[in-house]
Amino acid sequence: MSRSLKKGPYLDQKLMKLVQKMNRANDKKVIKTYVRRCSVHPEMIGHTFAIHNGKKFIPVFITDNMVGHKLGEFSPTRTFKAHGAARTEKAVALK
Amino acid sequence: MARISGIDLPKEKRIEVALTYIYGIGPNLSKKVLGKANVNPDIRVKNLKDDELARIQNIINSDNLKVEGDLRREISMNIKRLIDIGTYRGSRHRKGLPVRGQRTKTNSRTRKGPKKTVGSGRKKEE
Repeated sequence: MSRSLKKGPYLDQKLMKLVQKMNRANDKKVIKTYVRRCSVHPEMIGHTFAIHNGKKFIPVFITDNMVGHKLGEFSPTRTFKAHGAARTEKAVALK
Repeated sequence: MARISGIDLPKEKRIEVALTYIYGIGPNLSKKVLGKANVNPDIRVKNLKDDELARIQNIINSDNLKVEGDLRREISMNIKRLIDIGTYRGSRHRKGLPVRGQRTKTNSRTRKGPKKTVGSGRKKEE
């Protein structure tokens, strides 16, 4: 079920404050963040977020057609190589 | 020949059913279109008059109903967008796996297609 429109998009207040501060300062540093659940707001366009995937921070540059998605959607949490011994890391390294 | 939105309608069927042969029109929308065009839904396609056909086509055009090629294009554009911006959903589309969090240990054959047996893939070491 989708979120009630009455509430508007979910935005992490701390993160938004930081983005607004950086917008005022015209600062384009990479923003390290753990809040995968925060929606992408138009003000974030042009910033680069390093979004935690549980292990690493994945750098994502926000463009205008990402608005409305959640930050977590851009930072995959699972690694799937392939099935079978022939394609395990060891076998791939041998090739 | 009854053609609407570039599709030949089956001659022997009731127009209510025949309209659903158009991609993007289901039973519900078909009824609405016919109601608006003031056409009896029980008439067979072969007995439809030209002006009735024209009215139906008119409703589809003027209400901006996306059908056939336009609709298919819109859908594939939406999928392409998801892939281009690098979302998880896009990657699921690319891999041909279910997009909305369904299980893939079993089932999900609609997305994955017919079963392909995969062996262990272990190569004999020499």
